[in-house]
Amino acid sequence: MRDDLKVGVFLCECGGNIADIVDLDKVKEELDVEFIGQFENLCSLNGRKLIRDAIFDYDLDRVVVAACSPISHEKTFQDYVKPLNPYLMDMANIREQCSWVHSDKEKATHKAITLINASIEKVKQSDAVDPIYCQTPDEVAVIGGGIAGMNAALSLAKQGTKVTLIEQSPSIGGHMAKIGKVFSPVKIAEECGMCLLNPILNELVWNENICVLTNTKVIEAERRAGTYNLILEKSPRYVDTERCIACGKCAEACEVEVPNDWNDNLSMRKAIYRPFGQSYPEAYVIDMENCSKCSNCVKACSMRAIKLRGKPERIPLQVGSIIVATGHKLFDMEKRPEYGYTRYDDVITQSELGRITGVNGPTKGKLLKSNGEVPKRVVMIQCVGSRDEKPDGHKYCSKICCTVALKNANIIKHKYPDTDVLICYTDVRTPGMFEKYYKHTQENEVRFLRGRPGEVVKKGDNYIVRTEDTLKGEFVEIEADMVVLSTAMEPSEGTEEIAEILNIGTTEDGFIKESHPKIKPVATDVQGIYVCGTAHEPKDITDSIMQATAAAAKVSEYNYGGVEIEPFIAEIDTDRCIVCGECIDRCKYKSMSVQNDQIYIDPMSCTGCGKCLIGCKQRAITVNGNIDEKIMSTINGVLSKKQDGQRMILVFLDHIGYTAADNIGVNRLSYPESIHIIKVISVNRVRPRHIKFALENGADGVFIGEFPGDLMYDEVERKIQRVKDRIAEMGENPERITFSKVYIPYFSGLARKFNEFDAKIAELDEE
Amino acid sequence: MTNQQKITDSPIDFAEKIINDVKNSKEDGVLKCVQCGMCTSTCPAARHSDYNPREIIERVLEGDISIIEDDNIWNCFYCYTCHSVCPVGNSVCEVNQILKQIAIENNVGYDKLYEYLGFADSYFTAAIGAIPERFFQDIDRDVPGWWEFRQNLEEIRKELDLNPPLMPSEEVIDEVSKILTITGFKQKIEKIRATEEAVK
Amino acid sequence: MKHVPTDDLLLFRSCLVSVEYPGVEASTKFVFDKLGVDYAISEKQTCCTGLGHYSDVFNQIDTTAIGARNFKIAKELNRPNLVMMCATCYAINKKSVKLLNKKDDLRNHINQLFDENGLSHLKYEKDDLKPTENIFHVVDILYAKKDEIKNHVKYDLSGYKIATHHGCHYCKVHYEDTIGGVRDPNIMDEIIEECGCSTIGWYDHKRTTCGTGFRQRYSNPDLSFTATADKMNAIDDEDVDILVHLCPNCHIQFDRYQHLIAQREGRNFRAIHLNIAQFIALAMGGDFDKVIGVKAHTVPVDSVIKDLKEVEK
Repeated sequence: MRDDLKVGVFLCECGGNIADIVDLDKVKEELDVEFIGQFENLCSLNGRKLIRDAIFDYDLDRVVVAACSPISHEKTFQDYVKPLNPYLMDMANIREQCSWVHSDKEKATHKAITLINASIEKVKQSDAVDPIYCQTPDEVAVIGGGIAGMNAALSLAKQGTKVTLIEQSPSIGGHMAKIGKVFSPVKIAEECGMCLLNPILNELVWNENICVLTNTKVIEAERRAGTYNLILEKSPRYVDTERCIACGKCAEACEVEVPNDWNDNLSMRKAIYRPFGQSYPEAYVIDMENCSKCSNCVKACSMRAIKLRGKPERIPLQVGSIIVATGHKLFDMEKRPEYGYTRYDDVITQSELGRITGVNGPTKGKLLKSNGEVPKRVVMIQCVGSRDEKPDGHKYCSKICCTVALKNANIIKHKYPDTDVLICYTDVRTPGMFEKYYKHTQENEVRFLRGRPGEVVKKGDNYIVRTEDTLKGEFVEIEADMVVLSTAMEPSEGTEEIAEILNIGTTEDGFIKESHPKIKPVATDVQGIYVCGTAHEPKDITDSIMQATAAAAKVSEYNYGGVEIEPFIAEIDTDRCIVCGECIDRCKYKSMSVQNDQIYIDPMSCTGCGKCLIGCKQRAITVNGNIDEKIMSTINGVLSKKQDGQRMILVFLDHIGYTAADNIGVNRLSYPESIHIIKVISVNRVRPRHIKFALENGADGVFIGEFPGDLMYDEVERKIQRVKDRIAEMGENPERITFSKVYIPYFSGLARKFNEFDAKIAELDEE
Repeated sequence: MTNQQKITDSPIDFAEKIINDVKNSKEDGVLKCVQCGMCTSTCPAARHSDYNPREIIERVLEGDISIIEDDNIWNCFYCYTCHSVCPVGNSVCEVNQILKQIAIENNVGYDKLYEYLGFADSYFTAAIGAIPERFFQDIDRDVPGWWEFRQNLEEIRKELDLNPPLMPSEEVIDEVSKILTITGFKQKIEKIRATEEAVK
Repeated sequence: MKHVPTDDLLLFRSCLVSVEYPGVEASTKFVFDKLGVDYAISEKQTCCTGLGHYSDVFNQIDTTAIGARNFKIAKELNRPNLVMMCATCYAINKKSVKLLNKKDDLRNHINQLFDENGLSHLKYEKDDLKPTENIFHVVDILYAKKDEIKNHVKYDLSGYKIATHHGCHYCKVHYEDTIGGVRDPNIMDEIIEECGCSTIGWYDHKRTTCGTGFRQRYSNPDLSFTATADKMNAIDDEDVDILVHLCPNCHIQFDRYQHLIAQREGRNFRAIHLNIAQFIALAMGGDFDKVIGVKAHTVPVDSVIKDLKEVEK
């Protein structure tokens, strides 16, 4: 039936690039098709007319364009074959992979015939299919209301996107709200953090496209092509934000005092409280764990805003994409007891020092010890929990602690020039402009000691910091009356939870992993989910904001552009499928999930690699586009042109490998005529039966190349090894199959490998 | 003074030799040292002598083989504090033990071992490690009543319902002696003893 | 927490316990019997080589070959769980098991030597023992059984000021495997609390070495005793009555040399020194002479513990 299809072949001279080496007349003689034509420049607009006319005149069902590489002009010719379906056209690459790499005219001509024949056989197996077009809803969930989440939300909202900003605590603002001062390396000055944060907060609150949900967490998530269905849980606030005017009478009346976590527990607050002066929503909240239910607040509230009863509320939310901005937490100092944090009152963290020196902090900005005196010497210890591979430590550098220490040291020195500040460091990491701030800090008479302290103990009224001054090679005991620990940044609990709920990949350290650090630094491994801020890795405010706006830009790209997807993806036969879940585990792209008791394949992330096919005992999965048959026909099309004594090697490459192979031609290197390259959408789609068929039907060797950065690389490597083992069992020589790494820029290496493999096969043939 | 590094020098070889020693449990730890000094900050020997664990690694990484002749390496307490805190996963304590074995291979430090050969001898006679008798006099001087206690040991053990201090069977002693002969231990001990006694 | 077996134990004899503080062995047996721990002792087992090893006389291969022999004895008795009374035995044996499992060259070399010299019966197969699953210190077993300790406590020792000294070779050598941590070690503090007592917890130099330093005590006494003095001073500053140990070598350094170090420091140190097993045995009513073995102690135990009062039931 498919053999009756009318195929037209269009040969391109490419202005001599092809015709000077390949004898196109001979090609025409050798091929038996409905129509065959030759043109000087097929890609020109003239070419479009020629192709279209021939399709009408000869009633062609399929088209083969023998010209340059599909990488250059496949899209062009898919357009030129209209009204034929674009997938009914195939390109035979007789330029980059023939005329540009071979010089022997006769051999090159035969190779061109072979490649065109392979395309003819392949295109006969093609069916008309339409690309899948996905449009995601233009609604976004931003999870986490810190500086990163706020900026991402604001940027999207200003572009017209509806944003829901989800924050688990009673106020947005995050760590930046409590940081006190921030510094500018350019101005060499410390500035009020809240004063910088507040305008953003206000803008966000007044933006009609943003809905802020505080006391709210994501508890469930489900993904369908371009749409996420989230279930949120909003805990009761017990105070009606519409009615509350934040007058504070309730807190005055409240009889319960508990440590104020916003002040790092350095001061007390009531059980009904406002997290901080500029918190949003501008309303009080009850900490029900500590509330005694005395009702004093209810009586005190003239606005009748307080209700002591309330239940968590579940809210469904449908969005097109998600930005994860769930942030970090600080290292638990119980893990490094030798520094005495839990034993001694005046051994504190940099975060606590930030509160102490903050004018809205427990001492109204005065640097005071627990006994109310100003410290005479503050020793700062760097890298606490960072750059530490011992149990509970972190191997990474937390990136901001050096500059945070410098900032806090300067703040102390400005106000208390008589207080000696000594920073014990291993390396001072102040890249770029920060180096100027480091110099400024030295000018402020902050002292530095290179050494990593071993312990802090109390002797009399003072602490002793035991360390080595490594530049002197001397063990020293430094007296101090305040010790400040620069604690590591680690993923927040929220970050760990959301990674689990959304099934997004994390690093070995538990941060959200970006899809690729260079080319996709804000995407996660799940399509439509982006990351920014310290949920991704330790970073400062500036970097968090930049990444937040980058994430917003990527969301816009995704939301507005829509996505056209090649239709060659997996499909489930629900009658056969028993929902065993094997495919879910096997899919490296996390495309499969169970929805409504059925396996659902997300067309946006499926690559059609076919890994799921192998594991499916029910044979319930197919990949659209007849790919198995196409590969088989292509092989057949090549091998059927084999001449007596001719060596034939089949090379299977995906897009990356194929581009590398094109580069060999573009750079006019050469490789033997025996090399016949077959392009596949995923190397994993080359099945053992293809290889076996090739070897049994005249192929002298099979070369499979894969880019090591491909998620399927290890899988393919193992598979090829298994095929080799099986080939050996059947008495064939496994040396006839080879697996190789390919890289686009390393085309010369690929040419060398082709040459070597050809030589090796020649040797085997002689034996 | 200028320290010249010739193009043919390969300082890292010394660290490689240590890494490849069977005793090393820290893989490439020594190469990852950033000289932070946390080892020295917690080292009892650094606190009270010229021993400096950070400097040991510095010299190893410089390829300074003369370190095996430095008396300071013999001041390590083997308390493993450095090993337990090192942020990059190095162990100066292990490196130090390996350095001493390299010293001994190179006929250095025999005098340091000579006094302790009693620990070896007792394995061949009783299959246990006993404090060398040569120290008994010092102990008796420093610890009032110790000698008397040791004289009464059997009686005290009997009162505790324990066997008399353990002289294992001939079979056991033979087997242990054989093990320590085939590993080359016996030969090494005899060489150290002969060398030291010739000097004296 | 990791699983700690309380059956099929081989109680590993220690040279220093045997000849210096035999009461530690008697107390361990006494407490194990009370707690229903299943253990045995083998006459064929020999020393771990620790003292010689850390005097640099024994190299790793010598120590590990001796270890392989002891491990075989444990396997043949069907008591693959080795329990040490001495921190150094614990560290040495755990390291030998790790090396024998991990370093194929070393294991093959030792096995080949055994084969060539008629000792094939001692050969060690990879993973015959597991470092975390088979190698323990007595405190690990006591910790696993700690909930049962209070059922057997007879005397109330809560009136004494108690501090702990966790031996370095228990805590620090295999720190990833140490119950109760290594930076502020507290496994003994937790066990002592089960006797109805509390310890002073952290004190300056809590995690510092006893100062023995193997060769330092005999060849470098100044260095050794200066290091010990750091800790003794800190303990005296806290007015401690009882310092609880888990290693006989630390025990020697503190108990035998307290008098001498007091002279050097011009202070009067008064703490007595008990092994954790002795402490619990004492709390459980063990006899001074028949169980605790106080006659072996240089600082008289009765200088602090003068009379014992029974706990109120």
